Amino acid sequence: MGAAIQLLEVERRFRENGGELHALGPVTLSVAPGEFLCLLGPTGCGKTTLLRILAGLDAPDSGRVIISPGPARGKIGYVFQEGALFPWLTALDNVAFPLRAMGKSKHEARTRAEHSLYEVGLQGFEASHPHQLSGGMRQRVALARGMVADPDVLLLDEPFSSLDAETSRKLQKMLRQLVSGLSATVVFVTHNTEEAVYLGHRICVMGNRPGTIIRDETLEVEGERDRLSSAFTELLRSFKG
Amino acid sequence: MSNPKGFEPVQRRRERKRDSGVFSLEGLVLPAGLLLFWFLSTRSGAATVLPPPEKVFSVLLAPGADIASSGSLLWNIYVSLVRVLLGLLAGIAIGTPIGFLMGSSVFSRRALYLVTELARPLSPLALLPLSIIIFRDTTLTKVLGLTYLRYSRHIFNEVQLGMIFVLFWGAVFPVILDTMHGVRGIRNTHYEVARVSGAGKWFTFTHLMIPASLPDMLAGYRMAMGRTWMVIIAAEMLPGTNSGIGYLLRYSYTITRYDVMLACILIIAMVGAVFSKGLADMGEARLTLRARER
Repeated sequence: MGAAIQLLEVERRFRENGGELHALGPVTLSVAPGEFLCLLGPTGCGKTTLLRILAGLDAPDSGRVIISPGPARGKIGYVFQEGALFPWLTALDNVAFPLRAMGKSKHEARTRAEHSLYEVGLQGFEASHPHQLSGGMRQRVALARGMVADPDVLLLDEPFSSLDAETSRKLQKMLRQLVSGLSATVVFVTHNTEEAVYLGHRICVMGNRPGTIIRDETLEVEGERDRLSSAFTELLRSFKG
Repeated sequence: MSNPKGFEPVQRRRERKRDSGVFSLEGLVLPAGLLLFWFLSTRSGAATVLPPPEKVFSVLLAPGADIASSGSLLWNIYVSLVRVLLGLLAGIAIGTPIGFLMGSSVFSRRALYLVTELARPLSPLALLPLSIIIFRDTTLTKVLGLTYLRYSRHIFNEVQLGMIFVLFWGAVFPVILDTMHGVRGIRNTHYEVARVSGAGKWFTFTHLMIPASLPDMLAGYRMAMGRTWMVIIAAEMLPGTNSGIGYLLRYSYTITRYDVMLACILIIAMVGAVFSKGLADMGEARLTLRARER
């Protein structure tokens, strides 16, 4: 089976104040279908830039990006860092937004959005507006929106970084369970090592300026990951070192 | 929730006090005092320019009666309101798309901003004589070709294009600028959400740009409404028409019917208040939604 995502010598430079910032690259990376990849790195290392390139929100200056099966509407789900919900829409309509954008009927969009909200544990909050929800609930809505169209590729940009540790862990667990029920290839960007080790099948560590992948490791641990196990601690230590 | 009387939580009592709005018992003290002063001063025998309040109220209480063959109060209010409405609608219809254009395209903003900023401070009233020269006595009756109405008392005869143009001038700039600000204020992330969702241009326009800028748009409409009401009163006091509440105000001054004049002032104030209150309520809900998010 071919790769779901392929990056070949991808580079990105930003011009600012007359100078040039070599933000990314060259990055060559291949992600298998169904893989859960965590892009781990410090702030400003270009991991978000990489994710944006994958989503088509930014274009590389050189190199190639191949996402199979082909670029089609709704095939990519994207979860933003925070505050990306539409404040004038209810939770339900926020989740239904991608489906409506794809031209699905209002009825179908709402039915599927309802199911998606149920999956993230927000049944009963369909009619709430974002300002009526807590930060954790808002990110659940954002997750539901990212997954509602049943995407082939799910991209997440530090979706839990603004939450408190406990909420963040709860949502990490939920995300693991949700993703295991999908066939989607996942790329999860984070600067939090523990989060990466807990979630990822594979971890790519990115280095700074220009952002390149300096370590690429597929984790052996399968199934439910126990944060207190020695294997987990061992892994954590190896990435923190 | 049921609380025994007198045990309302302090927090909520405070909130209620804060939310009491424009109308309150305390707010009525000053107007009532002024009214009393007015009443007593006209009674005291001292020479006063003001007619007694009861005379003014008797004018207000017979709004359908003809005043010095200039039509009734109601008729003149109606004429002014129709003019304002048409000028406002013209301003909204033309200003909103321009605002959207200037908000969403750097080219249009560059091309139009200078003109808008130069034209905006120009008082609409300054344009009235020019407007009358350009449009002459063209009325809605003429435009619509309804010549058989010409000698009847019909509202179309009272809607002079020159007047509407001046009102349009007063309305269009707040609409343009606020719409532009609303559109420019749309978060980049929201555009990106639309993009990764696969939204097309039209969908992005109808489901993101319009709802996101609506609070500012409404604020602009509200401002425009207030301004057109100010402009129409002044415009009607100038040559070019002999109808409308502003005309009646000025005419009653000329013929020294000060009771009518004061009645007109009261009506103008009330209509203005209703305008701003009504639109404020309309915009409130969405404005707070957005404010809370930021």
